[in-house]
Amino acid sequence: MSPVVRIARREALEMWRDGRLVAAALIALALLATAFAIDWQRQQTYEIERRAAQALDYDTWLKQSDRHPHDAAHQGMHVFKPLPALASIDPGITPYAGSTIWLQAHRQSEMRFRAVQDATGLQRFGNLSVAWVLQVLAPLIVIVLGFNMLSGEREQGTLKQTLSLGVRLRDIVFGKALALVSAITLLLSPALIALIVAVATSERASDDGLRAVALAASYAAYFAIAVAVVLAISALARSSRASIAWLLALWIVGVTLLPRAAADLARELYRSPSRAEFSKALDGELSAAHEAAWKREFSTTKRWGTELPLARWGEALRLDDRVGYEVMDKHFAALWQSFADQQHAQALAGTATPILALRKASMSLAGTDFASHRHFAQAAERHRRTMQDIISEDLVHHADPRGAGHFDYQANHDLWEKIPPFNYAPPNMATAIKEAGISLSALALNLAFAFCFLAFALRYRARRLL
Amino acid sequence: MLETRSLCKRFGETLALDRVSLSVKPGEIYCLLGANGDGKTTLINVFLGFLTSDGGEALVDGLDVARNSLATKARLAYIPEQVMLYGALTGIENLRYFAALATGTEPSATDAERLLTAAGLDAAATRRRVATYSKGMRQKVGIAVAMAKGARALLLDEPTSGLDPKAAAEFSQLLRRSRDEGVAILATTHDLFHAKQTGSRIGIMRQGSLVEEVSAADLSHADLEALYLEHMR
Repeated sequence: MSPVVRIARREALEMWRDGRLVAAALIALALLATAFAIDWQRQQTYEIERRAAQALDYDTWLKQSDRHPHDAAHQGMHVFKPLPALASIDPGITPYAGSTIWLQAHRQSEMRFRAVQDATGLQRFGNLSVAWVLQVLAPLIVIVLGFNMLSGEREQGTLKQTLSLGVRLRDIVFGKALALVSAITLLLSPALIALIVAVATSERASDDGLRAVALAASYAAYFAIAVAVVLAISALARSSRASIAWLLALWIVGVTLLPRAAADLARELYRSPSRAEFSKALDGELSAAHEAAWKREFSTTKRWGTELPLARWGEALRLDDRVGYEVMDKHFAALWQSFADQQHAQALAGTATPILALRKASMSLAGTDFASHRHFAQAAERHRRTMQDIISEDLVHHADPRGAGHFDYQANHDLWEKIPPFNYAPPNMATAIKEAGISLSALALNLAFAFCFLAFALRYRARRLL
Repeated sequence: MLETRSLCKRFGETLALDRVSLSVKPGEIYCLLGANGDGKTTLINVFLGFLTSDGGEALVDGLDVARNSLATKARLAYIPEQVMLYGALTGIENLRYFAALATGTEPSATDAERLLTAAGLDAAATRRRVATYSKGMRQKVGIAVAMAKGARALLLDEPTSGLDPKAAAEFSQLLRRSRDEGVAILATTHDLFHAKQTGSRIGIMRQGSLVEEVSAADLSHADLEALYLEHMR
């Protein structure tokens, strides 16, 4: 048996005997089990309800009575965002982003971006979730278990005693690292079980399985960073008191203050408009574009007035829609870009503090990040446009020929059926990995930094053993 | 077995070791006397490789410590004033752990108990957690580790300070037994009585220099005290 393993075994035995391990395990188990039970149950219930609601909504659409198609378009449809299975591990922006979009005539619904706007402020102490426990509390557990691993032995003199046997300092540190890693693995194993349960009960088990592997690897990297930093500080610190003080300060700054500052800074750098500003700008440009189009096509700027014969109202609706698509695309793209830029800025800030990198990577891999939300919103908008186009086309062909009798036209079930049900396929694992690219790189960079720091601390301490 | 040649060690302006040359042969107990801060502990730390010298050499079994720090440690056992053990582990567990780290093979629990009782520990005490041990009991564990390791030289730093007379006598007895088995022993101490009782040779250090070296047999306790006080003046 190598000295590393012997040292790890002794360290683990001590942790077990002095009760630290048991206490930490109970706390971790209670938190993780509670968080997962709540989120998993919520996700399962939500998905059942969502499927039912989606089916019911389409059913209502199909069963509506004969009516003028534009009335039907105004009533519209609703689409419900699916909640991925891994949301039970990391809900990401789910609590802050909306889940329902009303697909109605004329206009892309606004609720979605209001929700996302809130979501950028989520960089604070969040709701209890498995991800939150792992990201925020787990480093604290590593600190509690490891802060005195080297400083304490130096203070007690056992370090000198062990070194005098001819054991390398490096082996002692590796032994402690092994003990710490084993303890963390044991303490956080409920999270691993939760991940397996989430994948096993997923509708898309193969894709979610891959996501889960990447998630587990990202979190493992994060904990490795914590272990390396804790041991390095414990090696460098003059005393255990100094070690715990440094580590807690580091935790407060790195886990709570910096993420907050990064979120605020990102918002300052890539300012997104308020809801009112956004609506005002969009409305302004929409009416300008509409007026220009009406002037060009119908030689009037007064929309929906007596100047335009009813025989061309279907055509006008179609024109209105198409002009609007472009304007809305431009405004929403700019808005979304500002959110995406904020997210990327935060992922980049992940090079300064690993929790930012992990948080972003975790959300992306769980499919609960901003990009996934945007993916859904865009799919919903495409569906709305399909609906609009079919309805306007129908008006041009069936209502407009009736001239003054335009509004007497009533469409029936045949038209309703032409609108397909909303079938949404969330982005796959490859897309998620790509989205998490920057943050995963930042995490890897942090891991390299942490190992270099530990190597430096070891060299420093090897020269100043007394 | 233990040898220094013109060993120097500087801490900033002060010379902690000033051209110290001494030699401890197998089967010899060398007691190093001197006040606190006269360089005795520094010398031990150089032998252990915890400090690097600024001149001269420290040799263990003919090997230069600076260049062979692991090989020289393999031949040594170090017993400080307060032998530090893992409090949550029993005497047997501590011995097995340290012996395994030192030699690469873990002694069985029976062997461990035998070594501990040979070092003078009660059989019952070997199964108790070390947190309950007295200073003397801890030192017995230290000796047992040295025996398990098969150390050929012992470095003792103030081994008897703070021991009650009975424990100190027992400890001296253990040292003499090791000496008779051919172990070279270098012990620092303030305790003239202990030095006279157990030492084969006695050195006196003063401000980093070895100022006197005598054979313990050559002088009485009173002579030693007079000599020591003269140097410390």
